[in-house]
Amino acid sequence: MSQRKPPVLADKFLLWFCKPELLEEVQGDLYANFERTYEQDGRRKSQWKYWIQVFQFIRPFAVKRSKNLNQIDMYKNYLKVVWRNMFKHKVFSVINISSLSVGIAACLIIFLFIKDELSFDSFHTKKDNVYRLCELQTWDGTIPQKVPITWPKMGFQLPDYFPEVKTYARYHSWGELLWQVGDTKLLVKNSAAVDSTFLDVFDFELVAGTKEEALTEPYSVLITEQVAINFFGSKDVIGKTLERDGHTYDIKGILKDIPENSHLQFDILISLSTVRADQPNFNERTGSNYMNTYILMHDNVDIPAMEEKFPAYLSSLVDDEDINDNYQLFLQRLDEVHLASVDIQHDYQNHRKFNGTYIDVFVLTGIFILIIACVNFMNLTAARANTRSKEVGVRKAIGAKRRQLVYQFILESILMSVIALMFALVVDFVLLTYLNDLISRELTMLTIFTDNRLVLVIAAATVLLGLITGLYPSLYLSSFKVVKVLKGVDTGGKKSFFRSSLVVTQFSLALAMIVCTFVVVQQLFFIQDKDIGFDKAHILLVKLNGKTNKSYRVMKEKLGGKSSILGVTASGQRLGNNLHQWGIKIKKDTAMVHIAPSNVLVDYNYLDVYDIKLKSGRTFSEKYAKDDGLAFVINESFVEEFGLGEDAVGQQMGHNWYPNDSLGTIIGVAENFNFNSLHHKVNTLSMVIHSKWNFSEMSIKLDADNIQAGINEVEAVWNEHVIDYPFEYEFLDDHFNEVYKSDQQMGYVITIMAVLSILIGCMGLFGLAAISIERRIKEIGIRKVLGASTFEILVLLSKNFAFLIAISFLIASPLTYLYLDSWLDNFAFRIDINPLIFLLGGATAFVIAMMTISFHTIRASNANPVSSLRYE
Amino acid sequence: MGKDNLGEFEELVLLMIALLKEDAYGLGICDEIKKQTERTAAIGAVHATLSRLETKGFVESSLGDPTKERGGRRKRLFTLTAFGKKALVQSRDTKVNIWTQIPELSVNRS
Repeated sequence: MSQRKPPVLADKFLLWFCKPELLEEVQGDLYANFERTYEQDGRRKSQWKYWIQVFQFIRPFAVKRSKNLNQIDMYKNYLKVVWRNMFKHKVFSVINISSLSVGIAACLIIFLFIKDELSFDSFHTKKDNVYRLCELQTWDGTIPQKVPITWPKMGFQLPDYFPEVKTYARYHSWGELLWQVGDTKLLVKNSAAVDSTFLDVFDFELVAGTKEEALTEPYSVLITEQVAINFFGSKDVIGKTLERDGHTYDIKGILKDIPENSHLQFDILISLSTVRADQPNFNERTGSNYMNTYILMHDNVDIPAMEEKFPAYLSSLVDDEDINDNYQLFLQRLDEVHLASVDIQHDYQNHRKFNGTYIDVFVLTGIFILIIACVNFMNLTAARANTRSKEVGVRKAIGAKRRQLVYQFILESILMSVIALMFALVVDFVLLTYLNDLISRELTMLTIFTDNRLVLVIAAATVLLGLITGLYPSLYLSSFKVVKVLKGVDTGGKKSFFRSSLVVTQFSLALAMIVCTFVVVQQLFFIQDKDIGFDKAHILLVKLNGKTNKSYRVMKEKLGGKSSILGVTASGQRLGNNLHQWGIKIKKDTAMVHIAPSNVLVDYNYLDVYDIKLKSGRTFSEKYAKDDGLAFVINESFVEEFGLGEDAVGQQMGHNWYPNDSLGTIIGVAENFNFNSLHHKVNTLSMVIHSKWNFSEMSIKLDADNIQAGINEVEAVWNEHVIDYPFEYEFLDDHFNEVYKSDQQMGYVITIMAVLSILIGCMGLFGLAAISIERRIKEIGIRKVLGASTFEILVLLSKNFAFLIAISFLIASPLTYLYLDSWLDNFAFRIDINPLIFLLGGATAFVIAMMTISFHTIRASNANPVSSLRYE
Repeated sequence: MGKDNLGEFEELVLLMIALLKEDAYGLGICDEIKKQTERTAAIGAVHATLSRLETKGFVESSLGDPTKERGGRRKRLFTLTAFGKKALVQSRDTKVNIWTQIPELSVNRS
């Protein structure tokens, strides 16, 4: 009978899943049944039945509980403990979590900011091969400048000369134009004429119409959806027409509204062939540069090699042996146009261009803040070791391995990290709208949530953060010796060098940021308040064009009588950039010297209205007939640059096209004024009158007490004399502020970062102070009993922290100085870094730190020694 | 089933245990059920019920002697506890009580 065995495999299976304690009785029953069935029905049947019955035992009561269940239970315990701990020490939990939250929130926002800036022009699929053609212009008498504007011919000949070039597209902005549909006349902000290849180079989306037909014919336009709606009320307008200036343009396609993150912004594209219809040799034009040229290269082009061929190329375009002394062509990658064009002048078609180096600064500050927050966490958790020591001791006593304890504490910090992330997200949601207003951006949290990969990365990063931050405290906590701890010996008393150095790091960073903020803010104020040599306050600017110019004189007269108007003048360009350079020749001794200073067309009373001071000579006056075209007012830089000496007035100079024997004269020398931003030195300048030429804008000086009245007067006069064009204006000081926009924004960001870092640092200090002072309660009690005064105790308790702050100061100062010095070099006009600033920063940090711990120190020094010494 | 209520199968198994007195173990109960009710109870189901009954406190168990038929393995013997007895009695009484309230059912004896 014993030879009959139930199926071995079935038994093995049973052994595998069945609980060991039930195994014996179960197998017994099965076996007995097997035997019985064998007797009755034979081997086959009994084996079959055995298998079935084994499977019948797969029920919850019989199946082994998984081995890992133990681990899961363990982690459930850890979570319970973490939760309880958080609520037991609410204050510390709040400090811990909130400082991490602030750090994470700051980083998230910086991330959004950077992502936005880096995303510029990234939607063009061919972006790796798109380049902007730029020039380095060097002329006698003017500071070399980089510009992105080119002659029409420069772009036109490219494919013939360079095999690397796949195609090119030129872009010429015609600015604000009045377009008409039937009786509807609207001023469209940005119209540009482009080559038919424009959409081959760039990927602006066409909602209707095809790329091929869009811009080939003359008098074709592409309009954006918004323009379509404005004119026609719908987007279905292909085939309709727009009118301008007596010509009819066919709408060949509708473009999707140009996204915010494109450096080129336009509402209407006009085919460049339109221009050629009027000027057949348009493509042969040289001499005056005003077009942007974009090149699409083939793959893997050797750019430096191509740039080497440029001098030869230029020589082939014009018959001027000096051409290569004046112009040096170079290529700028598309992805650098938005961020690396800070030193490029006359860069008008670069929407919201930003200084790329600031991005590095922001990344750095974000990391700094995160470091400070993490350091907080590490320090606070480690310093609180006392409160957890018994727990550690007990766990170790009942058998916990060191590794398990490490896991426990790391889990704790990961959890805190995740909670901090939640808070950070909420805070960001709320604050983002305010921040957007401050830095005029349109950042949104959706950017994070719509990108699945990003969500994952952020989650993983947070966990990693928790891990790293938790490593130090957990290693420290888990190292407690069981006996010492359970006996009650004080474990957390030693001053850890590591922890002190963490505090020093925190405060060094915070200090650096404070000083940076002071200096940046100081520089920004300097720029705003610096006497720029002319009066830019309360000056209303109104654009003029070919048509409205005719009404200028009339309007000027009409406005002259009003009390709220202090002066009306006009110019060919607006102040606030380097102004255009024109060829000038000046008679020195007997020779003609050709130079190219900045030049501006002005009205007779320009210097008066703008309050530009004269150093010598006189300003323009209608009394002198020759002042129209034959009189020049130059600035001091001009005199210096060309060595005209003390008697500049009276010397002969004229535009390049003047015959040499009938030049004009210099009638006055103006004091240097900053017509360009203070990033640049004052260039050489000459001002001239040509009464037959058109001005591009009016400058109206308003009475400071009657600004609104002034505006109304101007509007009334304008509407009286100008029919087609609506009244639009801008203030000159607003315009100047725009120039310093990105510096200002950097200022805001730095200030915010500095405040945050001090905040976090203080939170940490608050916690640390609480802990260390609590530990010394007995010592303080004894000292008081022995006669120490409250003040002496205050000093005693603060000594340690003061010392750490002093060290931070010593470390942070030199490094900050070096950095700030190089930032200030950005500006041709800059403040000197006053060493006192550092002391001020240090003092600020010190005072804030002392105030933070004063809460504890004062409470401790006022405590009744009886209560602290009572229990032993 | 509620904590103290008996499921139908549980009640059956309990009755078997009471019936079998000294010899109430998994396979035995299974055989007895077959004998008494013509139902083939799965051995796994019986063991599960026994485990449940023990958890609820209706039965107690102890390990018996090993036998040759079982390949030398001991069997687990179950006995009714007082609590279990009470549960059985209560169940029967409740049912009888309701039965007597339904004269139609009592009349149709077949």
